[in-house]
Amino acid sequence: MKLRAALVTATLIAFLLPLVWTAVASLGLLPDNSSRPPSWRGSATLDHFAEIGIAEPAFWQELATSTGTAASAALLAVLVSLLAAYGLARSSFRATRLVTQACLVLASLPVMAYVIPLSDLMRRVHLLDTYPGIVLSEAAVTAPLAVFVLHGAIAQLPSDWEEAAVLDGAGLFGVIGRVVLPLVAPSVAATAIVLFVLDWNMLLVPLVLTSGDIKTIPLGLSDFFTFERELDWPTAAAALIVSLAPVAVLVGFFHRVLNRFSLDLRTGD
Amino acid sequence: MRLTRRDRLVLFTPLALLLGGWLVTPALVGLLATFTSYSPVTASVRFSGLANYAAVVHDPAFGAAARNIAVFTVVAVPLELGIGFGVAYLLRRSLRGRAAWRILLLLPWLVSPIASGVMWHFLFGSATGILDFVVGWLGRPELPSPLGDLRLALPAVIAVEVWRMAPFVTFLLLPSLASIPNERWEEATLSGASWMGRLLHVAIPAVRPLLLTITMLLVGLSLGTFDSVLILTGGGPGNATVTPALYSYGRAFGTNDWPVGATSGWFIAAAVFAAGLIYLRLARTRIAE
Repeated sequence: MKLRAALVTATLIAFLLPLVWTAVASLGLLPDNSSRPPSWRGSATLDHFAEIGIAEPAFWQELATSTGTAASAALLAVLVSLLAAYGLARSSFRATRLVTQACLVLASLPVMAYVIPLSDLMRRVHLLDTYPGIVLSEAAVTAPLAVFVLHGAIAQLPSDWEEAAVLDGAGLFGVIGRVVLPLVAPSVAATAIVLFVLDWNMLLVPLVLTSGDIKTIPLGLSDFFTFERELDWPTAAAALIVSLAPVAVLVGFFHRVLNRFSLDLRTGD
Repeated sequence: MRLTRRDRLVLFTPLALLLGGWLVTPALVGLLATFTSYSPVTASVRFSGLANYAAVVHDPAFGAAARNIAVFTVVAVPLELGIGFGVAYLLRRSLRGRAAWRILLLLPWLVSPIASGVMWHFLFGSATGILDFVVGWLGRPELPSPLGDLRLALPAVIAVEVWRMAPFVTFLLLPSLASIPNERWEEATLSGASWMGRLLHVAIPAVRPLLLTITMLLVGLSLGTFDSVLILTGGGPGNATVTPALYSYGRAFGTNDWPVGATSGWFIAAAVFAAGLIYLRLARTRIAE
């Protein structure tokens, strides 16, 4: 028992130390590795958070863009996937299982495999550098995973309540909205949060679908870095902490619900 | 409820439009384009057979990328699974503050690959990094960043990815491991099963299908490795850490060799589909059992 607690603590330290190091650096406390033994220098300050806006003037705009596109893409993908997952769960054709598993293979397909022609197609239909272009593309990247998870959740529901609702005269959307959705709401919320995180962190889609007019946080961070500007570590660290904070708060707030993001088709209680 | 034809149409059409328009069509149009000289900037298109494929296969940079990604996948995926499973196994029984541990442990996965690349660049660096801080305490001289070393760059890139993904594996496995009924563990303990025996006969069988699913996702993810390497090394030094995704991107948008970029992108898709066939096969045998 003691051993287990020690191991858990050690793991936690190993995984979190890099982030703590970054958080400390964002406050201006830096290690001095040239002295022997190494020591710390600097005093704690919040100035570096203010400097983000000077080093990357559009950073706060990028934060808003990321929030907007990630939220829209996640909601769109979850909505579309919920309908399809319900359809799959209530269809008895034999290929249902194969379709959901094929969804998982699609979910594993890296964006790079088709993003080059995608950017060309988007240019031809004038969706390059537009919010709909980014949102629809991100939603398409993440929808297969959502179908897989939501199908798993819905397939476990008994269909008795749905039959009762149908006898009461409910139509398709009545059944989904008033019977199915309340029962799978935790899974739907968990899926939406995971998709939001995936969209928030996505680089390739906004990278090839925009020419710099619309910037998300990962794009901003990569510019920050690739343009050979000698980047100031405390400011970069502050930007990293700010870009991590929204998703960390979201996940922390909904951590109970997140249990329901299950790729397991048998247990999901 | 029993679905009518019309219901099915209503339920499946939105997904079909989304995936059809933004995933399947680009993928297939891209596939067709790889047999031609098509590129967004050229006016005339002609059939070129397998010329693009030959160009990709004979490019030493792509050969290096294929080798790197094979090593990357073969090393990173088992490590992610092993560490992720190990941590989930440790956390499976109630432990004071388990909910908090779980969320804290998920933090590395929340860091975007780009942000993690920026972060590790500095953490590996000698003036600001953890590595040199520790080495300094041991009285050793400063180490150059492993990212600039021909032999150490790929292991360093793999380590960063494992740091980011192992926590996600734990997150996915933990609910299923924790839901194994207590009696199963007790039975195994009573029948004299060792620590290893309980792992092999209780824990792993309970999550085998889930492990298969997670493995598929991890394999796909590592075959497409792009963002973190772009920031950490840009594929260097030399071609030491170049990946097929970096190669495709560089050809299509960097050197304006669009057909070669699109073609090498299809190599990634082919590798994932091959892994997908194995996954479908294994998932089916499991049901048949």
